[in-house]
Amino acid sequence: MLQGRPQALFFTPRIAPHAAGVLLSAFALIGWILLTPLSAGSVQTPQFKLQGVRGEYFFVLDGLTEEVLTTVSRQSDLSSIVEVYVSGIEEPVPPLLGGVSIVDGLITFHPRYPLQSGLTYRVQFEPGTAGLDSLTAEFAIPADAEQPRAEIIQIYPTAPVLPENLLKFYLHFSAPMSRGDVYRYIRLFQDEAEVELPFLEIEQELWDSDHRRLTLLIDPGRIKRGLVPHKEAGTALVKGQSYRLVIDSGWQDATGNPLRAGFEKIFRVAKSDRIPPDPEQWILSSPGAGGTGPLRVEFGEPMDQALAMRLLQVEDSSGSPLAGSVTMAEEESVWIFCPDDPWAAGEYTLSFAKTLEDLAGNRIGRPFEVDVFEPVQERVVKETVSLPFRIQPER
Amino acid sequence: MKRAGFSICLLIFCVCLPAFGANALDSLQVGNAEIKSAGSLAFGPEGILLVGDSTDGSIWAIDTGDRTSSSSAAAINLSGVDGKLAGLLGIARDQVLINDMVVNPISRKAYLSASRGRGPDAQPVLASVDASGTISVLNLEAIRHSKVAIPNLPDPSVKDRRGQSRRGEAITDLAYVDGQVLLAGLSNEEFASKLRSVRFPFSGADIGASVEIFHGAHGRFETNSPVRTFVPFEIKSEPHILAAYTCTPLVTFPTAELKPGSKVMGTTIAELGNRNRPLDMVVYRKNGTQFVLMANSSRGVMKLGADNLDTFKGITERTDVSGVPYETIEGWTGVQQLAKLDEGHALLLIQGEDGASNLKTVAFP
Repeated sequence: MLQGRPQALFFTPRIAPHAAGVLLSAFALIGWILLTPLSAGSVQTPQFKLQGVRGEYFFVLDGLTEEVLTTVSRQSDLSSIVEVYVSGIEEPVPPLLGGVSIVDGLITFHPRYPLQSGLTYRVQFEPGTAGLDSLTAEFAIPADAEQPRAEIIQIYPTAPVLPENLLKFYLHFSAPMSRGDVYRYIRLFQDEAEVELPFLEIEQELWDSDHRRLTLLIDPGRIKRGLVPHKEAGTALVKGQSYRLVIDSGWQDATGNPLRAGFEKIFRVAKSDRIPPDPEQWILSSPGAGGTGPLRVEFGEPMDQALAMRLLQVEDSSGSPLAGSVTMAEEESVWIFCPDDPWAAGEYTLSFAKTLEDLAGNRIGRPFEVDVFEPVQERVVKETVSLPFRIQPER
Repeated sequence: MKRAGFSICLLIFCVCLPAFGANALDSLQVGNAEIKSAGSLAFGPEGILLVGDSTDGSIWAIDTGDRTSSSSAAAINLSGVDGKLAGLLGIARDQVLINDMVVNPISRKAYLSASRGRGPDAQPVLASVDASGTISVLNLEAIRHSKVAIPNLPDPSVKDRRGQSRRGEAITDLAYVDGQVLLAGLSNEEFASKLRSVRFPFSGADIGASVEIFHGAHGRFETNSPVRTFVPFEIKSEPHILAAYTCTPLVTFPTAELKPGSKVMGTTIAELGNRNRPLDMVVYRKNGTQFVLMANSSRGVMKLGADNLDTFKGITERTDVSGVPYETIEGWTGVQQLAKLDEGHALLLIQGEDGASNLKTVAFP
């Protein structure tokens, strides 16, 4: 919503653009008006107006005489007659892209891209014909009404103790955020000392589609043993140490406002986890038929929250997935499914792709890195894994 | 940036390649190209610009109509290209993010992909810059185009049952090699290593293919890591890919090994070390020798001799091995993007100390 109407800041013929020329400008205008034939009817001063609604504003130059319009319209290229610039920029910049047209006695400029809230635009009429005056005006586009400021609502994993070879964090925000320089606002401290370059900084930034979740990868070069970064700088996280993941409040949301507050996640680091998750060790607790009680899956360790939420699904005996709600509990070590419709007695399966990962990027059947000197047995599994369970009849 | 100079036909994924030259333009239809985000770029045949759209999960082919040949380019030098682009777009400079830069190999004009805005509603922008410094923004509402979905993304219906799926894939690099578009992606959930391929001109029946790329770390640990940036090049006239991984090893593998569903073990030829990340690569020849230039986040621009990589056995021992030697080019600081302007010159996108982005033409070192 707009806080106010767009306002013209000034309007002046080009012949007297500055303060010293204001009087001259006034005289020039008066002279121009006096010279306008009375037969033309009511005298109208040429002026720019901003018309349209937010997101679809366009400029209109009104009040030109028919003679002026006729002269101007003879020009082969109308695009240079009206030009619009972003105001307040010192270096020379080209004018806005847009289209100029003359319809019903009005010259209009429609910008190709919507005008930006909070910016001021300078629009100028350059008839380019001897005897016609230039005109200039500025319009301030009101800033958007202030929205509630964004904040961090969760950082996964939530556990207070994380493995030394932790692969990623997920940062969840209450509102869409801006991208482009996110790594400036994220720092990791071991006690009071800042950890140098702990994260994989990539230009594309791993946002979800509405910019409410950022995936933050810890530099895999420092996790993987045998690589130069690992040898030179060691792991970003060291077993037995305490850390703070600090989010700076200066991080702007999509509307340009900073976060409501900074955020700190404090955690300790335990030994590396190099063991792939083993679904055969998971504990499934199923409710009885007739209700929508929860199916609980206990992994025995925290899992990657995003992957577990997306990949696991419950299928009936025909292989059709059940609709329902999913939550995770106990620091992402438990997956809970409640069906929309009551359970029927019978056979079901919990199915998921083997790309499911634990906190260290170990997948089902394959560790994050395979040690070819001391190999962990790589288990051959299908693309998907299915764990059967049974819903008992109502008593 | 990454362009193939291959004159021989590749047998990527063991498919017979269609004749692509004559019907490439015919495969495009005039209309509104509803690109959601303009990221990685590559030039295909006949001035067709290939655009990676991470938000839409697709690759677009856009007819630039820019087919006036120029064998050697006039230098492109333009200070404050981001500010000037912001002026055209009617927005503040800090709201323009330049995502990639390539050079049209026919006209030798520079092409930029950018975002107008920083939020999820940012508008995609494709623009060209000529030797006079004139910036032209492509009008995407009426342009010949086609698109194809990125192969093998998760079934979108999965998100409907759960209400919301936040899974996405950032296209980290794109290249066109004789009728194939190759792309590297980085998921925002799985730590997967997939190099994908799709034929061009795009066909609705072509679901593309993907390959998992592994590498050895000093012989002991076999690891799987996403490719961050890559460039096609030749070893002994055989087409290869030179890829930089997210975990920093620089790896080569023959393009012919990229068969659908296969597991490819690359040869680790160098490591870039700590406190560094590769940004962009370009291949060129000078005095009969092939070189690779690589822009890095903190170690400047590196120049690697790429003529004798076939004799290099790779980093396979447990001892410290530095890999293929490289030199750092003096004075090339702040380089964000590299492209081959012509046989003798590189076009650089440089971020100055004042934060502004500048285009600069330099002779290949």
